[in-house]
Amino acid sequence: MARTLRTGIVFPGTMLLVVAFLSPGHGAEQKLEKFFAQHCVKCHGSKKQKGEVRLDQPIGELLADEDLLETIASVLEEGEMPPESAPRPKAETVAEVVNLLQEQILEQRPANPLKRLTRTEYTNTMRDLFGVDFDFTGLLPPDHVEQGFDKFGKPQLMSPHQLVAYLKTARFIAERVLPDSQPETRTWDFDVRHFHGSKNFATGGGGDYRDGDDYVLTGFRPYRSNLHFSIDPDSHEQFVIPAFGVYQLEVKAHSAKSKEGEIIGINLGDGRHPTSFQNIRRIAMPHGSKGFTTELTLKAGDMLAFTFDSARVPGRSLAKKPHKGPAMRFSRMKVTGPMVKQWPTPAMKAILPKSNMKPQELVDHIAWLLTRRPLAEEDRRAFTGIAQARVDSGASMTATARSVLIALLTSPHFIYKSESPELTDVERAQRLSLFLWNSAPDSELYDAARAGDLHKDSSVQVERMLKDPRSSRFIDDFTRQWLQLDKVDDFGPDVRVFKNVRRMTVDSMGREGRELFRHLLENGLGMEHFIDSDFVMVNDRLARFYGLAAVPGDGFVPVKLPKNSERGGLVAQAGFLKLTSTDFATSPIHRGSWILKNLYNERIEPPADVLINEPDIRGTTTVREAILKHQQLESCSRCHSKIDPLGFALEYYDPVGRKRNEYRHVEELPAKLEGTTFTKKIKFTRVPIDAAMKLPNGREVRDLPTLKAALMADKERIFKGILGKLISYAHGREITRADRPHVDAVYESIAQQEFSLRAAIHAIVAHPAFGQK
Amino acid sequence: MKRRTFLKGAGVALLLPRMESLGQVSKADSPRRLLTIVNHLSFYQPELIPQVEGAFRKTPPLLEEFSDHLDQLKIFSGLDNPAVQNGFGHTPCVGILSGYFNKLHRKNRLSIDQAVADLVGDETRFKSLVFQAGENLNFSQISWDKHGLPVKQIDSPRKIFNLLFQVDENEKTQQQALAEDRSILDAVLAQAKSMEKRLNATDRAKMDEYLNSVREVEKTVKRRAYWADRTKPRVDYEVEDFDRKSVDDYVGTLMDLAVLALETDSTRAVTVQIPFWEGFKEPDLSGNYHDLSHHGQKPEKIRKLLKLEHAILKRINASLSTMKERTVGNSSLFDQTTTILTASMGSANSHNFDDLPALVFDARMKTAGHWQKKDVPMSNLYLGLLQLFGGQHDRFGESTGSFEVLS
Repeated sequence: MARTLRTGIVFPGTMLLVVAFLSPGHGAEQKLEKFFAQHCVKCHGSKKQKGEVRLDQPIGELLADEDLLETIASVLEEGEMPPESAPRPKAETVAEVVNLLQEQILEQRPANPLKRLTRTEYTNTMRDLFGVDFDFTGLLPPDHVEQGFDKFGKPQLMSPHQLVAYLKTARFIAERVLPDSQPETRTWDFDVRHFHGSKNFATGGGGDYRDGDDYVLTGFRPYRSNLHFSIDPDSHEQFVIPAFGVYQLEVKAHSAKSKEGEIIGINLGDGRHPTSFQNIRRIAMPHGSKGFTTELTLKAGDMLAFTFDSARVPGRSLAKKPHKGPAMRFSRMKVTGPMVKQWPTPAMKAILPKSNMKPQELVDHIAWLLTRRPLAEEDRRAFTGIAQARVDSGASMTATARSVLIALLTSPHFIYKSESPELTDVERAQRLSLFLWNSAPDSELYDAARAGDLHKDSSVQVERMLKDPRSSRFIDDFTRQWLQLDKVDDFGPDVRVFKNVRRMTVDSMGREGRELFRHLLENGLGMEHFIDSDFVMVNDRLARFYGLAAVPGDGFVPVKLPKNSERGGLVAQAGFLKLTSTDFATSPIHRGSWILKNLYNERIEPPADVLINEPDIRGTTTVREAILKHQQLESCSRCHSKIDPLGFALEYYDPVGRKRNEYRHVEELPAKLEGTTFTKKIKFTRVPIDAAMKLPNGREVRDLPTLKAALMADKERIFKGILGKLISYAHGREITRADRPHVDAVYESIAQQEFSLRAAIHAIVAHPAFGQK
Repeated sequence: MKRRTFLKGAGVALLLPRMESLGQVSKADSPRRLLTIVNHLSFYQPELIPQVEGAFRKTPPLLEEFSDHLDQLKIFSGLDNPAVQNGFGHTPCVGILSGYFNKLHRKNRLSIDQAVADLVGDETRFKSLVFQAGENLNFSQISWDKHGLPVKQIDSPRKIFNLLFQVDENEKTQQQALAEDRSILDAVLAQAKSMEKRLNATDRAKMDEYLNSVREVEKTVKRRAYWADRTKPRVDYEVEDFDRKSVDDYVGTLMDLAVLALETDSTRAVTVQIPFWEGFKEPDLSGNYHDLSHHGQKPEKIRKLLKLEHAILKRINASLSTMKERTVGNSSLFDQTTTILTASMGSANSHNFDDLPALVFDARMKTAGHWQKKDVPMSNLYLGLLQLFGGQHDRFGESTGSFEVLS
């Protein structure tokens, strides 16, 4: 790998020549100035400022604007500017100008600013350091995301609000990992007398009911069924978790009238306000399952509930006729906790290895434990002061350690990632583990780093880390943000239109992209499978949804596609097709821009100077006639000529990702006054689909197979796009044109391994840039 | 639409201690206050803005809602938010009170309500109170402090009420935590300062954000420690059950709380946002507020939209009247308060960020009426307001001058 890597770093030859010939500096500036004057300022100058771009400004100012240079370079390179109507400059001239711009961009390589731990990194670090398996993402504000991933330092905001959240979370953790006394373990038993479901909600009809020794959840929309428990059978006072700790739940339950198995969600929240529930775990209940046992880390005040959703809308009152559809029947539940497996806990021993530690020793120890970096001499004093004050006031060793832990967890020493211009061994280990485990390194990784192994040959550690179950966190977190499939159920599906799309099927759609990534990574398969493949990753529901041979269970397995199937690849996944649609309409623009953003790693943003001042298009019959307006407006067409063909080619797939041959235009008829929204009548109109359109390069795409063929023909750009996503995730900053040599090098170095995803991860870590800030 | 009785009784127990320990005791009997109201979905301007400039002669139907206060009202129309262009959908609305919004220049993002709060907010329990647009944060972070950092906005009427008037049972036990917080903040501040010296320029800017946050939290902790010992004012008001989906009902409740917060001198700067997101709809009207705002010039939709806008303005008008009835110290609450009502878009139908309306109510103004300010920066109005509150600024946001609000 090392050899190919070296050749890869070399700049494309032509570019080198031009750069050598035209040394950057004054001459280059004059060339650019002349080019702009000749070809651009007519529309981007003092008279007109199309796109609010002006290129008649002093050249120094223009060159300082990194974003502007990127845009100019891209539009020139792709022949989008000057427009067809204007005189065309010679191809060599354009190439020369693009190279000069590229040179300028490389000089202004974007900084990789200071980053703080994301919520997920914070949570995992606490889990790995202290064994506290608790989701802190509820305590910390969401991380600000711009241009991709929450790991980017540039958009991360620090605010008083954020700081207070850090302080409170630190106190929460310290009080729980360093308690004064051992908590008492208790057991609670619940049966049908203590169960309460969702009854008499807005639907008027549906609801859950008691049936002998079982409590039956029917899972009707719009409110999913929620089962909560009271200690007193006669009261509806919900059972409240008394103290922080690990709780074991043993549940006897089974699904009724369902051959495919069901999913139970474990929620936290107040049973009286079921819409405010926070889902904390999903439990697969395969056909024939009699119940489950699970462990959860809960905090005092948490209220448990189980949710079940059958995606049905009750059409009638259950009082008149018993429920016949799928249901979940609960018989008993036993809760035990907080469970103490070892006392003192491993975390207590790790934080306080000796019963009497001097303030300074304690501070140094906890600081090292958190980051494996020593505190600078002048940084240490204030923390030692806190410890000393606690000791002086007669506080116990545990209480003193607690105060020090709170302070250090709130301090920049822990919150911010340390990155020297050339990463130290420890910093390199941390970047690697934040990349592949989303957490702090373990001792083995630190040891390997200190022995200098990481920058000599990282492959042993990378291989070990990818085999470790913790790599699932990378797979989850990366694919969640890259593919955005966690948003798959943000819209509908409107149950009135898509009557048979069960919530559990939608849930499976949201996992397919991640499972494909996992499969490629684990089996060293090539990235072209993201574009097209002869297999899909499916579970029981998705196999049925795609009309494939039956697959048992909730877990995903690869299934070979029949010859005539159009599935295979990310753009054929129901999850993507549904994610980019609203509750009853597809959106070619969302689909097209998703492909450009996530596969090509292009920066697609609505233009700065264009207001969305078109008339309301929601009433038009086909999306095509409404959307094509974009291409007629010059200011829109630059992007939409790229976006629209990609999106329209997918019009043969409906909002839930099923094949269709015509549009079903949905119209809501006015509600009857006494009715609710869910009894509004719907009218369907059938309209033919016209999906054919030409890509900017002249290639026609007209349906999913031709789209995939077009993407496959473009696979070098797509691979580089995906590599760009991975590199930006690993480095915590946006990848720009300035990083092309870096991306190209990684690309070249994995060509021999047929662009395997696993090789890509290795190559990203092995690249010298991985060891630099 | 559901009608509730407005602000029953005036039984406000005003036993407010001065913050001697924090110094800066105001000599003035009637402190100045600012009430800022932002409607993200704007108004149907043809029915709000008079056709001609100058004194009000014929008032358009929406403006008619303020008929009791026309003598103390200046309307500015056609204002521009010149730097607001970088965004999509409702995103640029976050810059409405800054008169400026550019993600890259956080320092310039101070919003007018916070600029005023910096001047008048030292003596009260809360420096300012900012209400979120309903219980949804989408694009409703409009309040930015002088470091360009988001100011915490409170999302539910119940929380606002509790914060203002409810005894916090944990407050006493939190005293010890507060003391510990202060020593922790000292420590992390010291560490951040020494760490900052070792960083490059870009990273120093990041660490500055951290340092500024610590300093702000220190001030808050100090303020909280002081006020924790002092009882909250008592009011004869209940946050009644209101319809969370009704804009009208929601606005009524938010306005009640805003008036109460000012009247009890809990704070002197309140910012209210009109809830606007998809969920808001009236039971007797088909279509939700947001959807109606995209009326596409269809008369039927405009008719429904106007119904909602009238209801909102009625609520605001009622609050202005209440402020006239309430006496605090020597004068009415209205006399002490400058109220600004503005919109973050010219029209929600076309999502334009120019042609903005602003209504300013102030009892001290000599002339009332309509001023056309085509393409003049909104910041000019903000600078005028700021100077009214004693600010020594000569620039605010993108200002090119300053409006004389009281002339």
